[in-house]
Amino acid sequence: MTSIDANIVMWLNGLSGTIPAFDNLMRIAASDYLMPLVFSLSMLGLWFSGKNPAQRIRYQLTTLMGISALSISNIVVWLFNITIERPRPFVEHGDELTLMFYSPTDPSFPANPVSVSFAVATAAWTINRKFGLWLYAAAALFGFSRMYAGIFYPTDIVGGAVVGISIYVFTTYLRRFLEPLITSFVRLIRGLSAA
Amino acid sequence: MNTDPGVVRDLFAGHYLLFAFLTSLGTIQIAVSNAGTRGLWLTPHATMTRWLGIALILTAIAIFFMQPLWVDGPWAAGSVEADSLTRDWGKASWDELAGARNVNDIHGGLDGVKQAGWFSLAAITAFAVSAIAGTLSIKILNTVQPKSYDEQNTGPQDGLVGLANRSYLSVQPESWRNFKTDIGDLWHKGIREADSWNLIKSIWGRSSK
Repeated sequence: MTSIDANIVMWLNGLSGTIPAFDNLMRIAASDYLMPLVFSLSMLGLWFSGKNPAQRIRYQLTTLMGISALSISNIVVWLFNITIERPRPFVEHGDELTLMFYSPTDPSFPANPVSVSFAVATAAWTINRKFGLWLYAAAALFGFSRMYAGIFYPTDIVGGAVVGISIYVFTTYLRRFLEPLITSFVRLIRGLSAA
Repeated sequence: MNTDPGVVRDLFAGHYLLFAFLTSLGTIQIAVSNAGTRGLWLTPHATMTRWLGIALILTAIAIFFMQPLWVDGPWAAGSVEADSLTRDWGKASWDELAGARNVNDIHGGLDGVKQAGWFSLAAITAFAVSAIAGTLSIKILNTVQPKSYDEQNTGPQDGLVGLANRSYLSVQPESWRNFKTDIGDLWHKGIREADSWNLIKSIWGRSSK
């Protein structure tokens, strides 16, 4: 599996330098700032998007679930990281890869940025299939760009996606464990005229 | 990195806050123009508000990623390599612009927790600016307000529902009053209806009976 994983990364990364404009696009897509902000904004937009009271409360509860899933994903990925400690591709195959991104110091599996992206995309998907698919595409692009840059294996990306989706499903159950705290929080924000 | 990470972090924080604020403001404007929440519109017209929102987002992205061209930072021309270990301080060149912002958090880039903090501040500020602009638009420009879907319903006119046709300042007292009236019932009803294994029920269940 590691060999197939490494071959895919080396083949993809080997394409770098062929089309400079595409390389630059991947550098921006892989950035720590663009895609994470896109996912944060998608939750912010969802909060304000409801067109009637019932839709609004549903969107706002889903937004809170999405944000919670994002936070829990970070913890779960960290637990995987310290348990498995898989080295990054550029550490194991540095001579065969052209590093296009700074060299992260944390372990590779599962991909944390992909995990949180998929958790948020799943939250959006439960509200609006089309919007959710766009966010899944953005999450996939985020993962692809990091793989192209030589800092993740394909299985890190798939693992991150599975963790993110699973954590969102788990969070929806967690909500039942914490009600009426969540609904009361939304009610408080409505008391401040922001929900 | 040939520069103090603390200096780089401060620079990134300022840039990121502006980036997050403008994109949050743009996103709120697009969302509230679609939802008909007039009390948060930056302009009196839905279409104009929506296009303004899109323009704010695109402008913010362009500013954030092109700022290294005119602002000194850890991206001096000729020193921008993939790894952020050996960057020099200065202005970036066009050729290296795409990778200029990719700075490891141990070299002064913003980690996820710091981004979350700055983003929350930016989003709250964007909401406050929207509320002030919406209030000015409704109070001073006295914009015409046709009845929205929300207003045709008979439910309480507080929160975002109330902002469909009123300013933040006129809705806020009613929102807070309704919150104080409702929250007790909402809490007790929630605990009554919760599953037996619910954490909140196990803590507060007995006292709420």
